[in-house]
Amino acid sequence: MSGPGATILGFGARHRVGAAALFLAVFPWLMPYEALAVNILVLGLYAVGFNLLFGYTGLLSFGHSAFLGAGAYGCGIALVHFQIPWFGAIVIGVALATAIAVVMGYLAIRTRGIYFAMVTLALSQCVYYAFYQAVGLTGGENGLRGINLSEIGVLTLKVDFLNPTVKYYLILAFVVFALWLLSRILASPFGAVLEAIRENESRARACGYNVERTKLLAFVLSGAFCGLAGTLSALHLSIVPIETLHYTTSGQAVMMALLGGMGTFFGPFVGAAAYLLLGDVFTVLTSHWQLVLGIVFVSFVLFFPKGIWGSLLVWAGRR
Amino acid sequence: MSGLTIDLLLLQIVTGVALGSVYVLLAIGLSLIFGMLTVVNFAHGAFYMVGAYCGVFFYGLTGNFWVSLILVPLGVGTIGLAVERFLVRPLYGRNIDDPLLLTFGLSYIFIETIRILFGLNGIPFSTPPVLSGTVDIGIGFFPLYRLFLIGAMGFLVIALWLFIEKTKFGLIVRAGARDPEIVRVLGVDVSRVWLAIFGLGTGIAGLSGILAAPLQAVTPEMGIPALAEAFVVTVVGGMGSLVGSIVAGLLVGIVVSLTSLVAPEMAKVSIFALMALVLLVRPQGLFGRAGLMG
Amino acid sequence: MTDVILATEGVSKQFGKFIALNNISVAFERGKLAAIIGPNGAGKSTYFNILSGAYPPTGGRLLYRGRDVTGLPQHRFAHIGIAKSFQITNIFPKLSAFENVRVAVQARHRRYDLWTARESLTEVNDRARELLTMVGLDRMDDRAAEDAAHGEQRALEIAMALASEPDLLLLDEPTAGMSPEETQVMMRLIVKLSETRTVILVEHKMKLVMGICERIVVLHHGELLADGTPAEVRSNTDVKRVYLGQEKS
Repeated sequence: MSGPGATILGFGARHRVGAAALFLAVFPWLMPYEALAVNILVLGLYAVGFNLLFGYTGLLSFGHSAFLGAGAYGCGIALVHFQIPWFGAIVIGVALATAIAVVMGYLAIRTRGIYFAMVTLALSQCVYYAFYQAVGLTGGENGLRGINLSEIGVLTLKVDFLNPTVKYYLILAFVVFALWLLSRILASPFGAVLEAIRENESRARACGYNVERTKLLAFVLSGAFCGLAGTLSALHLSIVPIETLHYTTSGQAVMMALLGGMGTFFGPFVGAAAYLLLGDVFTVLTSHWQLVLGIVFVSFVLFFPKGIWGSLLVWAGRR
Repeated sequence: MSGLTIDLLLLQIVTGVALGSVYVLLAIGLSLIFGMLTVVNFAHGAFYMVGAYCGVFFYGLTGNFWVSLILVPLGVGTIGLAVERFLVRPLYGRNIDDPLLLTFGLSYIFIETIRILFGLNGIPFSTPPVLSGTVDIGIGFFPLYRLFLIGAMGFLVIALWLFIEKTKFGLIVRAGARDPEIVRVLGVDVSRVWLAIFGLGTGIAGLSGILAAPLQAVTPEMGIPALAEAFVVTVVGGMGSLVGSIVAGLLVGIVVSLTSLVAPEMAKVSIFALMALVLLVRPQGLFGRAGLMG
Repeated sequence: MTDVILATEGVSKQFGKFIALNNISVAFERGKLAAIIGPNGAGKSTYFNILSGAYPPTGGRLLYRGRDVTGLPQHRFAHIGIAKSFQITNIFPKLSAFENVRVAVQARHRRYDLWTARESLTEVNDRARELLTMVGLDRMDDRAAEDAAHGEQRALEIAMALASEPDLLLLDEPTAGMSPEETQVMMRLIVKLSETRTVILVEHKMKLVMGICERIVVLHHGELLADGTPAEVRSNTDVKRVYLGQEKS
């Protein structure tokens, strides 16, 4: 297929991070309200981190809420209980998420492939109970409150985090940075190994790749990206609800990835936007939006497994 | 830990066996479905929950617990048949994760539908009068209903064993579990076998739901921790192994029960520690076959 | 003194109660094109899997260049110089033919590189193109490899096996499912490859290998039936009895 559509997509594919940054820079003006734009950024990063493992490596994890939550709680606890400045708190949040990913990944990858989803679900449930019980640090059932950033120092400037526009662009900076890292990883030799493992694990092994070690590294990277999303979420919402660690949050990642398009660079973002917009529309109409979500998801599994963005790419002749 | 006698310990172990009985039934259903269809049923917890609510419904309707015990697995199993026939079957031959994803989405539909029909808050399910009260089992007084649970589990396990070992259909199950190709080669209509097994597995899940109902609050979310627990039991026992489901289910029940005696705040987390231990030492599960389903 | 590249000493393999291989001792010489043949069910695939590291034997030892490699993990075999192709075509289905080989070439040195853009690795990319040309696939486009013809996929497998610069190439029924023309092309390729490295084939079509191989190993019901040059094997009475009716002159 030729024509302006293909040309634009081609350009976008080669300079995907720049294209994403550009689009996301003007994004707030497309959204009905700014908090939604920030939510899409944060959840989009969460979905993108998840997609590294699911769409590119082919490992379906149902435990990614542990990383979003660890990042959020790590960052929040550092700020609230230890008065660590915001940037250090982000680093701590990501470090905590990464550490949990190392342990979880090591245990989960030991199992046969089909157990993977089950083990990750079970282990993240364990993390949920652990954080729930540590009421002193996490606030337990009520969540962690008081993550109030107002005036913060960014490099040498002082900015007002409470200003929605400032908040959006600061979070955007982190997200674009993460997308840039991700893009490099996917374009590297390591990225090719991930896709090879997804396509045919035994073949990859015969080529000489240590599949288990590679999977673990992918798992940890995925956890780190999701942890970063968690820290940003904590700063944005000023609280960390306990539901962040719940199994439904893991399910959220799965849904966004499928709705958007697994194994594509932009897909998860599209999925996050679709998920949040759909939610916004339907919670106005009914209190039973989960039913709509379930039906939509099941329909996608049956009829649109490539997701919105993935199907679009196929239609435009690029996959 | 004053007052910890042998009797108390033994009582706690029996409690663990009662608790484990529900786990055993859940895991057996999951294992059957996986063993034959290679599908990880992420809606298994939801079927369990639906079973509990169907129990509420039928018990309320008939006032007879025994009749409800028969109607619930039939009802839930029928839902399972419909799910396999119309939702899961189109996915065979596609990506191996697709049925898993589908059943995951299905659980959202089930949970929300139950919320619509029965409300957001839990419904109490009182122990049927004929099974309430306690019994002296020599080491102390023990709730009759929990003894009934253990008995029911034993009965079902034996019935299932007879079915699999002694009937023609059971032969197909055994052959298919080892190698689905063999079943096809034998000229058996594999799709009907899969349909039946999915119905059987979900029916057992529903039955566990009504059996478990008097022990806990019947809420729309009760299936979520149950799913995690069923997964732990399956990983510990070994996927596709019925013996594994039984041993692991009872083991997990006893671990939870003993932990809540000694360190109650660790009780919920203890099963994951057990699972982690098994993963480190024997990743295929206690009775799983190494090299199954790479 | 002959130079032995790969040897099995008393290798047996049991699956549960079923004995697939019993006490197989063979020493394969460097540089000699060898074939492992036998009727279906003889244990050829099991033997191949042990030689190529897919799983360890239940008993006995596997020796590569005199070094005991019994039980070495599968992914290490490529690093010590042994490469294999699979009986059932085992490629990366949705990747292009070029990417299939490129990934295989990359495995030598760039397994954990998270940073360099793969397009800029000219050495790897050029070598991949070389290998594709060597097996006659230089004109393959960017289509998914699973869409290629069967013969092309088998050739791709060989190109991928060559990517690790192996001293020893193990091929499991390389002509399986091929037309007579494709088979001829493949056999010519195998002979050419055996000029620069040791190649060991598994085949069940005896006629194919008799003409080109220097060493034949015959398996039957998991036992070693015969082991020698084609002439020795052809005149072996046990072999004649087993292949009666199947052998064509």
